[in-house]
Amino acid sequence: MGLNAETLDELRGEPDWLHDRRQSAFATYGRLPAPSKTDEEWRRTDVSRFDLGQYSKLEHLDGQKLVLPSALPKGVILKPLRQAAKDHPDLVEPRLFSLVHADRDRFTALHAAFFTGGTFLYVPDGVVIDQPIIGQHFSHEGGTSVLPHTLIVAGKNSRFDYLDEYIAEQEDEAGYRSGSTEIFLGDGSQVGYVAVQKWGRNVWHFADQRAELQKDASLKLFNVTLGGKFSKTRVEASLVGQGANAELKAIYFASGDQFFDFHTLQDHRVGNTRSDLLFKGALQDTARTVYAGLIRIEKGAARSDAYQANRNLVLSDHAKATSIPMLEIDNNDVRCTHGATVGPVDPEHLFYLRSRGIPETTAKRMLIQGFFGAVLERIPFEHARNLVEAELEARIG
Amino acid sequence: MATVPNVDVGSDYKEKYGFFVPEEYVFKAKRGLNPEIVKEISWMKQEPEWMTKMRLRSLEIFRKKPMPTWGADLSVIDFENIFYYLKASDKQSKTWEDLPPDIKATYDRLGVPEAERKFLAGVSAQYESEVVYHSLQKELTAKGVIFTDTDSALRDYPELFKEYFGTVIPPADNKFSALNTAVWSGGSFIYVPKGVRVEIPLQAYFRINAENMGQFERTLIICDEGSFVHYIEGCTAPIYTTDSLHSAVVEIIVKKNARCRYTTIQNWSTNVFNLVTKRAMAYADATMEWVDGNLGSQITMKYPSVYLMEPGAKGDVLSVAFAGKGQHQDAGGKMIHVAPNTTSTITSKSISKGGGRTSYRGHIKMYPGAHNSKSFVKCDALLLDDESRSDTYPYNDVDAENVTLGHEATVSKVSDEQLFYLMSRGITRSEAETMIVNGFIEPFTKELPLEYAVELNRLIQLEMEGSVG
Repeated sequence: MGLNAETLDELRGEPDWLHDRRQSAFATYGRLPAPSKTDEEWRRTDVSRFDLGQYSKLEHLDGQKLVLPSALPKGVILKPLRQAAKDHPDLVEPRLFSLVHADRDRFTALHAAFFTGGTFLYVPDGVVIDQPIIGQHFSHEGGTSVLPHTLIVAGKNSRFDYLDEYIAEQEDEAGYRSGSTEIFLGDGSQVGYVAVQKWGRNVWHFADQRAELQKDASLKLFNVTLGGKFSKTRVEASLVGQGANAELKAIYFASGDQFFDFHTLQDHRVGNTRSDLLFKGALQDTARTVYAGLIRIEKGAARSDAYQANRNLVLSDHAKATSIPMLEIDNNDVRCTHGATVGPVDPEHLFYLRSRGIPETTAKRMLIQGFFGAVLERIPFEHARNLVEAELEARIG
Repeated sequence: MATVPNVDVGSDYKEKYGFFVPEEYVFKAKRGLNPEIVKEISWMKQEPEWMTKMRLRSLEIFRKKPMPTWGADLSVIDFENIFYYLKASDKQSKTWEDLPPDIKATYDRLGVPEAERKFLAGVSAQYESEVVYHSLQKELTAKGVIFTDTDSALRDYPELFKEYFGTVIPPADNKFSALNTAVWSGGSFIYVPKGVRVEIPLQAYFRINAENMGQFERTLIICDEGSFVHYIEGCTAPIYTTDSLHSAVVEIIVKKNARCRYTTIQNWSTNVFNLVTKRAMAYADATMEWVDGNLGSQITMKYPSVYLMEPGAKGDVLSVAFAGKGQHQDAGGKMIHVAPNTTSTITSKSISKGGGRTSYRGHIKMYPGAHNSKSFVKCDALLLDDESRSDTYPYNDVDAENVTLGHEATVSKVSDEQLFYLMSRGITRSEAETMIVNGFIEPFTKELPLEYAVELNRLIQLEMEGSVG
């Protein structure tokens, strides 16, 4: 069994173009081979035990909860994505899955075929929203598929913050989850986007985030990965307009037997663009993480400035971190630096704190908090910052 | 600083380095690769049966293994259009005077004896596929050091040879190590007994001469406990019009408390495919250092590696790559930490110009049990113009407890401030750029013996010629 053509029929009442797109994505899913170990992206990421048949029930057709600011400015559209596809085909049809392509791999195809829930947000030119908009995606029961998709369109010189929260009601539920996001940033727009993934511990999670930045647009994108037994997140930014600036940050905390995979891309298509990436994670127990990131500077992209760093704090003897920061530079007039570290808590720091009479466990906790501290300050808005601090606090213990 | 040496080295390159002497061969195998040719090579060399069998088995492995799907584009290599064995003269010469005149002329033009005479303990010069000139200092022989070509070693030291050959890099390691094991010829064999320190670097010059000729030398170095040796390999090749394949295998065993340094300056002509497997095993408290300079060739794929097998082992790779027009240098290093308390560093410097492409490709692996190990990788790339390309592909796998791993890389151009400063002192732009490039690779140059440092600086000047207007 599993998700199949009949499942597609459940998604009735959609415009024809969307139904056709789902069917073609489902055909793509059938055509694409399963990722194999010889595939560089999947060499260290094992999906062979993912059995779609177990998660044949789609949950929450449009069931996310949107927390709205008290009053939305005029012209702003904020509604469930499937509703928006009906009401605003002119805005949705040309953009949906144009950044996150359905044929990228089997899992993006599956997501494009069966996505349900998720949000469409359109902010017209020049509009500023002061309070953050929050989309919360819940799962209520195990054994289901929850596949929300977020589509954000930022008009010229607009400014706003958005938070996607993926919440499990039960820690131990199993399921198939994907939470993908496409963000279109118009000239001069400023967008803060935070995704907090805290699904249950037995969940398979696949996420594809991709943003496209026009001239002078600025994106602050922040990922927090805490849940799932398996979580694979792609974070990609295309800088297509001069003066565009993308800040891509993430923190992750992997414990138990969790496996997290992150693949990032900073794609500098034109010159005078800037990107700054920092992924910081702590691992304990038998957790494993894979980070692979690429900075690509295209031929004409002179005076680009790109930075990429991955820092891993390994807290246990049996945790395992892989870090692959890559560069492909096709222009000489650039500034490009990257770095990666994998290591335990610095024994000298620990010694210093202990010499001040602080017990070892407290000292260790302080050092982990310190490790995350600087990057937490970069979370673009307060509501998300408080939320993440509380979550981390609970986990570091 | 005020007077800059004449850097017009490039204008007479063809006369100086692009020469070739008429071919004159005792035996020349047919083009192509099949079991008959492999058997013929083995028969010509009067090898024991186990080696013939190993060659044939390796040929099978070579045929079965797919081409690597990563790295440089190798699809243009036509394995059927290559000579797999050549022998330039029948017997080995004992002294410089005994060398055939045309071979002597080749080396005279390269400046081999002049540059090295005072330094040489032994010269082992590989002309075509076999070592023709080889002299060992009496002192070394007295100490029990063996420094010979690999073919003679198989004949003269069969037990030592069989014990180590193919143990560091088995034929099935990769497609090109299989090819090498099937058709290998020449290379150096060094054995340094316990506690012996060879204070003078041992050197060998490798040359490719015949058109379309593959060179498959095989080097095996064994440093017994507490010993030290520095081996220097330098390559220069004349320019030819069709592609040549160079696929060497270098195996090194560094036993307890021993230290081995292996220095390479590789300057194949820009139609050579240089696909080399180099690996060392370092045991307790041993040190292995690769100093690897890649200037020439059309495509180089080379990642010297150290397997840190026992506690306290240390590995070092210092790599420089220069890619000019039409060149792709895919180089780097690998450090495999198997035992606890092991340390490694990789320093890579790459320069791309005129549309050339340099890629750093590295792998740090820390297996479970390699606790308290440390590794640090630093890659710097310099792009001299906007046609050139630089890539960095570092793979870092940490599977061990309490280890520290760091990786850093930067890509930049020649800074305008540095150029402005030098030019304001009356130095021309191209001279200033050459100076900056030489400064950039200085950490590498300073590790070389003097005459090699001079040669490298000269080659850089040559490569820089005409790079800027």
